[in-house]
Amino acid sequence: MTRTNLNRFGTLIAFVVLCVGFSIASPTAFATPANAFNLVQQMATLAIVATAATLVMTISEFDLSVGFSASLAAVICFVLFGLGYDVWLAVPAALLVGIVGGAANGVLVARFGIPSFVATLALGTILSGFAFGLSGGQSLFQKVPDAFKGLARGDVFGIPVLGFWIVLVLGIAAFVLNQTEFGRRLKAIGGNAQAARLAGLPIVRDVIVTFAIAGGLSALAGLLLASRLGSVQHTMGEPLLLPAYAAVFIGTTASPTGAPTVAGTLLGVAITGVMVNGMTIVGVEPFVQRILTGVIIIVAVLLRRVGRAQ
Amino acid sequence: MLKTIAALGLAATLALGVSPAALAAGEKVSVITPFLAAIATGEMIEAFKAKAAEYQWSVDVVDTAGDMAAFASRVEDATTSGAKAIVLVSVDPAQIQDQVDKAKAAGVPVITIDGAKNASSVLNVTSDNYALGETMTKFLFEQIGNKGNIVRFFYSAHPGVHQRELALDDALKANPDVKQVADHYVAVPGQVDDSRAAMDAMLLANPGDGAINAVWAAWDEPGIGAELAITAAGRKGIIIAGIDGNPQAIELIKGCTPYVGTVRQGFGEMANIAADQLNKILAGGTPDKDELYAPVELITRASLGVTCN
Repeated sequence: MTRTNLNRFGTLIAFVVLCVGFSIASPTAFATPANAFNLVQQMATLAIVATAATLVMTISEFDLSVGFSASLAAVICFVLFGLGYDVWLAVPAALLVGIVGGAANGVLVARFGIPSFVATLALGTILSGFAFGLSGGQSLFQKVPDAFKGLARGDVFGIPVLGFWIVLVLGIAAFVLNQTEFGRRLKAIGGNAQAARLAGLPIVRDVIVTFAIAGGLSALAGLLLASRLGSVQHTMGEPLLLPAYAAVFIGTTASPTGAPTVAGTLLGVAITGVMVNGMTIVGVEPFVQRILTGVIIIVAVLLRRVGRAQ
Repeated sequence: MLKTIAALGLAATLALGVSPAALAAGEKVSVITPFLAAIATGEMIEAFKAKAAEYQWSVDVVDTAGDMAAFASRVEDATTSGAKAIVLVSVDPAQIQDQVDKAKAAGVPVITIDGAKNASSVLNVTSDNYALGETMTKFLFEQIGNKGNIVRFFYSAHPGVHQRELALDDALKANPDVKQVADHYVAVPGQVDDSRAAMDAMLLANPGDGAINAVWAAWDEPGIGAELAITAAGRKGIIIAGIDGNPQAIELIKGCTPYVGTVRQGFGEMANIAADQLNKILAGGTPDKDELYAPVELITRASLGVTCN
């Protein structure tokens, strides 16, 4: 295998090595269909949030509100359930809130020129306030319709329902980014916004739409997470933020150009998912799990830079 | 090549990080919590591990640092990885009902310590949290002559803590001369620092003597944060009471600070009861009841034999 191929496929090889290592360490628990089922379920919401982050990073921006959007959408949905509304109204309403919140991020960034770090953190904090207020700070798990639980539970022909969500969402995102005019414009904006502006691309509109999609995807992830757990806490989506960006960064190491891609992000999600799942099964101490999770992100990004230099 | 070497290095590090318990013989028991950073939760888990060592179980401890999605995932992992039992600490299993149902369906008994009763778990060992709140509130109100202004530090997401809050609500209704002038929903983790900051703000917002007479802390750590703020501000005439019997809170009570009382939960006792009951379950038996209470104790300056001027 040439150095070029190693650089290109090194991250994938690392993923395979991890899987093989955990399979050898725990053949009766890690390398089982039941655990594969678990892994797919556990990765799904992170994969969707990470896809939202990927879209935003494609235009060279950050969205720090993804976790807050996920929490608020789930809270709104469960509050509506509590008020007696059915799933067909509660779910679209929650998704709409996510899209509107995302679009507001886009307006702050594209129209008013506020750096995305600041704008999305501020708006995310506002969203978290609404989630806190609506939930009263309590865990909500009453009056959840069975139809809602079915969104993220169970399987079809032995494949977890959440696996189909991964394929659907990431498939559409990959198609949009790679096969459509809109996707090519996003890459152009991310590559050189000034050049894109001079070329007459509708930057403001595209940035707003991108953030709106990210908000909608985050809300969807929050709803699927709530469906999977059967309960909602007003902070439940927040822990998704750092792993989502970690997955995107790891994924960029698998990209020939170092740019974020949906496939790379999926690989990043899979690596982080397998790491945590495998370490838990093998019985790695909790403090070592945290250290290794940080180490792998640093190593991945450093190796990317080394690979580029070579 | 570098990436492959790095992956192999990580795998080696993983091998070094495998807990001795995971390599030990005996029944494998998975202990999972989102709140290991809380002192009380840590105390329960350490006590459980000590008791488990006596029973020669292999215990894996997992902390998800407040992340409920990860918490659900780790319960799934434990279910499929051959654990003989799952012990959930400081959490209501209803928050991950599907995962608890699956564990039950797989024949893996789930018990909770400081949690809540659940149809799919076999046992919850806890304190009567309403009684804890009632005991502490009654003491605190008596200390201010059942009259004055209090502030509340709370965290309703925890089912046990919420029961204590309900006890305060009932006490406030029964004592109309006690007014709640401010409250703060505590951020977890980071509860001590967060509570100190909140208390700083409350002191500034209520500057006069007697504007705040007492701090009601749903557990000791927010009370400790409030004590830091009150002492730093040099405010007199404000007392604090909490719940848990946290060693630091007891030292503050001994030290004649504004911290005047705590209700000790028998965290070690809870863990011991849970381990003894689990031993019965693993031997093919059933627990004595589906919910068992550990004894509680009001700790004050008087009970500690301390006299303050």
